[in-house]
Amino acid sequence: MNNLMAWLEERFNISAATKFAAKKKVPVFYGTVWYYLGGVSLFLFIIQVFTGILLILYYRPGATTAFESVKFIITKVQFGWLIREIHSWSANLFIFFLFAHMFSVFFSKAYRKPRELTWYSGMFLLFMALGFGFSGYLLPWNELSYFATKVGTDIAGAVPGIGEFVLRLLRAGDDVSGATLSRFYGIHVAILPAIFTLILGLHLVMIQVQGMSVPPEQENLPAEKKKYMPFFPNFAMRDFLIWLIVLNVIALLAVFFPWDLGIKADPLSPAPAGIRPEWYFMFMFQTLKLIPAHVLFIEGELLGILAFAFGGIVWFLVPLLDRKAHQGKRSKFWTFFGIALIVYMIVLTIWGYLV
Amino acid sequence: MNKQTRKKFLDTLLGGGLIAWLGAIIYPVSRYLVPPRTPDINPDSLDVGKVSDFQTNSAKIVRFGRKPAIVVRDKNDTFHALTAVCTHLDCTVQYKSDTEQIWCACHNGIYDLQGNNISGPPPRPLTQFKINFKNGKIFISRENMA
Amino acid sequence: MKRLTFLLFFLIGLNPVFPLQSDSRDACISCHITVDEDLDDGDKIMPHFYDDVHYEKGLSCADCHGGDPTAFDDEDAAMTDSDSFLGEVTRDMEPEVCGKCHSDPSYMRQYTAHVKTDQVEQYWTSMHGMRLKEGNDKVAVCTDCHGLHGIRAVSDTRSQVSDFNVPGTCSRCHSDAEYMAEFKIPTDQFAKYKTSVHGKALLERRDSAAPACNDCHGNHGAQPPNIAHISDICGTCHVNNMNLFQNSHIAEIFSKRQLGQCAGCHNYHDIAKPTDEFISWSDKSICRRCHKDNENAKELATGLYNIINNLKMQNSVAIDKVENAEQRGMEVSDLQYELEDVHQTLIQTRTAIHSFNTEYVQKVADKGFKAAEAAITGADNAITELLFRRKGLFVASLIISFLVIVVYLQIRSYEDKD
Repeated sequence: MNNLMAWLEERFNISAATKFAAKKKVPVFYGTVWYYLGGVSLFLFIIQVFTGILLILYYRPGATTAFESVKFIITKVQFGWLIREIHSWSANLFIFFLFAHMFSVFFSKAYRKPRELTWYSGMFLLFMALGFGFSGYLLPWNELSYFATKVGTDIAGAVPGIGEFVLRLLRAGDDVSGATLSRFYGIHVAILPAIFTLILGLHLVMIQVQGMSVPPEQENLPAEKKKYMPFFPNFAMRDFLIWLIVLNVIALLAVFFPWDLGIKADPLSPAPAGIRPEWYFMFMFQTLKLIPAHVLFIEGELLGILAFAFGGIVWFLVPLLDRKAHQGKRSKFWTFFGIALIVYMIVLTIWGYLV
Repeated sequence: MNKQTRKKFLDTLLGGGLIAWLGAIIYPVSRYLVPPRTPDINPDSLDVGKVSDFQTNSAKIVRFGRKPAIVVRDKNDTFHALTAVCTHLDCTVQYKSDTEQIWCACHNGIYDLQGNNISGPPPRPLTQFKINFKNGKIFISRENMA
Repeated sequence: MKRLTFLLFFLIGLNPVFPLQSDSRDACISCHITVDEDLDDGDKIMPHFYDDVHYEKGLSCADCHGGDPTAFDDEDAAMTDSDSFLGEVTRDMEPEVCGKCHSDPSYMRQYTAHVKTDQVEQYWTSMHGMRLKEGNDKVAVCTDCHGLHGIRAVSDTRSQVSDFNVPGTCSRCHSDAEYMAEFKIPTDQFAKYKTSVHGKALLERRDSAAPACNDCHGNHGAQPPNIAHISDICGTCHVNNMNLFQNSHIAEIFSKRQLGQCAGCHNYHDIAKPTDEFISWSDKSICRRCHKDNENAKELATGLYNIINNLKMQNSVAIDKVENAEQRGMEVSDLQYELEDVHQTLIQTRTAIHSFNTEYVQKVADKGFKAAEAAITGADNAITELLFRRKGLFVASLIISFLVIVVYLQIRSYEDKD
């Protein structure tokens, strides 16, 4: 072991990295628990990559083979059901933890100078994760996913000017078809993973270089009152501990709450009742449903899309807009804004499932 | 217990736990990688057996996807493949070798070997499947969709 | 003014009920179409004549009523002076008037290659035709079923004699107790038919393959089917049931006693959807109507009933097990195929009952028992697999939990050091 380290040291100067790691420390205060969320998201992403690669071995995109190959995986391939269940459950938890991570960062004002780029990259990662969810949902080619994709892409088509083009680009044609499936498959297993991994790398490097952020009032404490723990091994072991618990929970969910494969999509059949998107799109879906068909002179759906686009941009640009945070102060306005957003999302999601 | 032995003991436990954990991951994954006995599913094509399995002027009901299909070898040794579900009330049809027709016993519906409903209650023809021969075997398949 | 007249003509020409061109098709129409106050209502052309298939094919008044359609502006020449003029076609004249064309194959061939010209001939053999010959014109004649001056092709769904409309058309007379009184036949056929398996299929499920009145009684040659032949008529659709029954030992007894084969158990007009209890030895038993407490009959009926009942029970056990496996998240579409097989066999077994041969029925049912067995085994295997998954999860959970504890102790040991 020591010989190997010496051999590597001679060639790669890894002591620089180990020294950096040894020095790395994590602030200890009431908010330390939030630091685990990012790590859990990372772990879930690793699970997704791992199980995703395994699924590719048997999955066959195409209108006539996709559904059957997924059925093949869960019925004929040994432990195929387990891999698919873990992939599905982990995907949902991934999105959940990303949102949790984002809000924890938001409320601790970690986006403020000098960490704006970390926030921007994180937002990109979230968008892409939603893209993973949207594209992956279609891949089993069952009735529900087929029509949800149809509705989802329809919404994109409502954007004036470029909508038509985007719609055709997403669907690879005028309607959701086998061509859409091939396209979504490509996006899901090649395009998104490549870009996601790159930005995730940047995101992690920035965190390593800048260290963990603490909220303004912690930062302003006198040095002797600040407490730290070493990253290695104390914090890393805690990370590992939580990852193990999450893994156990996923295994439990996979066995006791399996995802239904449903029935094969038939483009010619009428849309079934109760089409709904995945839960993380529900609040948007429900909002669009609630907006009246026409508000003044604009179409309701368009208004909704514009509002979401505007909201998204505001949220994205929060490091620029929240001036107080840069001065090391908490802005009541932005805190309130965040809380309002959470309440809004929860209420509309529940509403969407109730009606 | 002194600290040193305690640490050693914990490290051993950790090592052992990690190995067991890896085992719990590697076992299902390696089993997953082994291809199952039924190596491939092609929902649109089915191997219905050798040509020699069929006698002249006989038929066989086979399972094609979720529904039965009927494969007929007629008097002229031509093969026909059709869905075996009667279009009237979903009974499974059969081949009548004396009249060389496909017959539904439930309400005396009659189809010809092309699947056309020619007598009785069936409102629609039976869907025909394509037939291919490969190495003395018969494969039936649906027309390509979408 | 000239322009206005033109416009008026133009508008009349657009009116589909009174097309301008047809005004001058022949002399009859050109007079009888005018809303002349001198003309009795009965002499006016009925607007629905323009919906008539005869009008559509280019025929007109004179083709039925005679007269000279070329004699414009001369009433006498067009009607009374013409040798062919019939005037009103009375009910007793109808078969001959219609048959003039409809019984002439060479004439009819211009309209359809598959020409049928035996309607009138058949009509005279029907109860309706025979009574008409006796001078009773209350019986149905051509126009009663096919319509008058608005006759549509039988294939036209609006025709009174198209698939779904036949029972209603027949019942216009046959369900009218007052009208039918002198004929001394029942008038409850339609009411019974509506509740029957056939009536429900035709009128509620709109299955045009289901039999209407004419499918059993014939149409032009309508007759009450002879009791000896009724099963041949049922057998045109229910072939296996008929063959099995006619070859059974029971058929002979039925015909000796004039029980009418099918109708003996299933009734006629109100043929209900049969239940398995028909052959049980319970109070719903049909067999006991005649056999009362005959031990041999009881043994046969019970034997047959038990086969069906066992298969039915096996079927419901299999369905429950497969459903249970499905609800617990297992993929069971293969098993559903087996269940479908059981269902098919159940239908075949119910048909086989008509052989009244326990051995034969058992043979037919065996295929279903096998399929049910396969479905049950498959469902049991699925549940076993589920339990295996839970055991596997338990082991994996145990390992992970152990690791969690060890990692926790490790952390504790680092923190102690500090």
